[in-house]
Amino acid sequence: MAKQGYKQIKRMTPAMRIIHWVNVVSMIIAIATGLYIAAPYYQTFIADPAVDKYVMAWNRWGHFIVAIIFDVTSILVAYLFFFSRFEQPYKKVLPTAKNIKEFSAVAVNLLTLNRKKNFDSTHTDSFNTVYFSIFHLLLAWMLFTGLQMYVHGLASGESSIGAWWPAMLHLVTDWTIPVSSWMLGGFDSNMATLMDVRITHHYTMWFLIVWVVFHIYYQVWRTIFWKEADIAIVIGGSKFVKEDKSSKELDTH
Amino acid sequence: MGTNKEESVKKLFTAESAKIDTNRGEPYYDELFIKCQNRLEDLKQLKPLNNRMDFTQSIEEQGLERRDFFKWASATTAMLMLPASFTPLVAEAAVLMNRVPVIWVELSDCAGNSEALLRSDGPQIDEIILDIISLEFHETLQAASGHQAEKQMEEAMEHFKGKYLLFVEGAVPLGMDGNFGTIGAGGETFVDHLHRAAEGAAAVVAVGSCATYGGIPAAAPNPTDAVGVMDVVKGKPLINISACPANPSNMVGVILHYVLTGAVPELDSLLRPKFAFGYRIHDNCERRAHFDAGEYVEEWGDEGAKNNFCLYKVGCKGPMTFNNCSIIRYNEGVNWPIGVGRGCIGCSEPDFWDKYAYERPMSNANIKAPTGGVEKTVDEFGLGLLTAAGVGIAIHAAASAVVGKKEDGGEA
Repeated sequence: MAKQGYKQIKRMTPAMRIIHWVNVVSMIIAIATGLYIAAPYYQTFIADPAVDKYVMAWNRWGHFIVAIIFDVTSILVAYLFFFSRFEQPYKKVLPTAKNIKEFSAVAVNLLTLNRKKNFDSTHTDSFNTVYFSIFHLLLAWMLFTGLQMYVHGLASGESSIGAWWPAMLHLVTDWTIPVSSWMLGGFDSNMATLMDVRITHHYTMWFLIVWVVFHIYYQVWRTIFWKEADIAIVIGGSKFVKEDKSSKELDTH
Repeated sequence: MGTNKEESVKKLFTAESAKIDTNRGEPYYDELFIKCQNRLEDLKQLKPLNNRMDFTQSIEEQGLERRDFFKWASATTAMLMLPASFTPLVAEAAVLMNRVPVIWVELSDCAGNSEALLRSDGPQIDEIILDIISLEFHETLQAASGHQAEKQMEEAMEHFKGKYLLFVEGAVPLGMDGNFGTIGAGGETFVDHLHRAAEGAAAVVAVGSCATYGGIPAAAPNPTDAVGVMDVVKGKPLINISACPANPSNMVGVILHYVLTGAVPELDSLLRPKFAFGYRIHDNCERRAHFDAGEYVEEWGDEGAKNNFCLYKVGCKGPMTFNNCSIIRYNEGVNWPIGVGRGCIGCSEPDFWDKYAYERPMSNANIKAPTGGVEKTVDEFGLGLLTAAGVGIAIHAAASAVVGKKEDGGEA
């Protein structure tokens, strides 16, 4: 039940919320295991023989499992981006005059510490959609570079599920080698190396962490300053806006 | 350096990592077998070129038995990824190697690849075979020098025009119009020297990482603007045998493959023979179990080092390096870097000196930030980024708390 004078607005479907929390857990695991894979940060000098400990192997296993979960949620998100029956986010990232205006208005709102608020905060705005799209592009890059590093272990061209699997991975991810090299120094500076893929994969982790830090801050900040219970969206799926405002602005949609 | 923009864009979508087709099916091998047989028959008609030794005699003189030779032949057949039925052909090809002329030139290098052939604990079959190939010209090994040497090279290039294999050791400096390196009394630049030698070659073999990618001379800041042979020589069959030094077994493999089939072996996207560079070191490493177990050498000489633990934390780059040294090792299987307790430095990969050989895991190594500028580790860069974001957020939060406006006045 909405508070008197407030209207409840649905913002995230159950599917979207499940994907969100699955991604949160996956990301924590991916970072913890990924840092270990990059440079093992705890020691395993215990008496067990090597075959029982299997610490790196478990870390890599965990990393791959969450990567696969990320693959699945990314495919779902990519589908919903264009074909959702709820809101189709692609409409909000197209550089139309309306979107650019809304994007600027939300950025101005953030920079003026909510002293100016000239946009409709009942629906997902262009600023947020662009921000989430950046996240998913970073994530896609992680998936392609990660699978490229993974396929190095299938050098024979065979796998337990057939030769199509490494062949497909090469087809889909080999372009990340020259692109990584280009990111690290431009076309003319270096030869493309497999190490470039590792380096950009590791850099991208930091960009994702920074992304998350701002994301959490912004959601909390909105909740405090907009006073529309934005933080509840990701749990209950809805936020609350003042009756007069929502009825007024919903008319324009 | 090297490639232009258009070529680079094309490369983005056609890049291939090492993929090996180890079994191409019976019809393919049947056809190849007949082709190789005919090729060897043709070679037998030719007289040995300038040959110094007879093969069978020379292995006997070195105290090796014919049985050793056949063991070697079957191992080499396997290395070349040919079916066992090819073993007699490989043995025959080895004897006929003195029919194929080789010219060997050195550019910006340390002669380490030549050393690799020459220095082993005892003459082994690989080395003997490299002794008896028809090496028409090799600056370091030949007695001639000065004008005499140049004349010898010219004669060899003229006499074997279109037939010789050109082995190149060392990078090609392009800076200052190539004048960082000159050769001979005439002061010919390395790049001109290479072009001249490559012109009449049947195929060019770049030996070692310098000749392949520019190697150590091309390491940052690359003052001489050094590049590998493949950036200079175009329009010739080119084979790269990278690694520092290249493994003599792989050199023999390439020559043998050429003798046997008259063609260059199957190559990966970096033009390295797949029979040698189709394997990842990590997957065939004797310390792999310790990697999976999380048992690492923390510092040189510690308990882990004494127990042959994995060298990943002291910078082993086996997981991203493709080469067959974890299988065939060096000096006829005697040992290899990881066997002696030090990590792989990725010497067979491009830019290895800058990107692989820093003896610590990648995330702890100083690498240029994407913006160029100061070298930082990836984690230092990331923590810097995170700190900047944190400071920004703290300022915004503090400012919001002081002068921010809450939409729903009254309540706060």
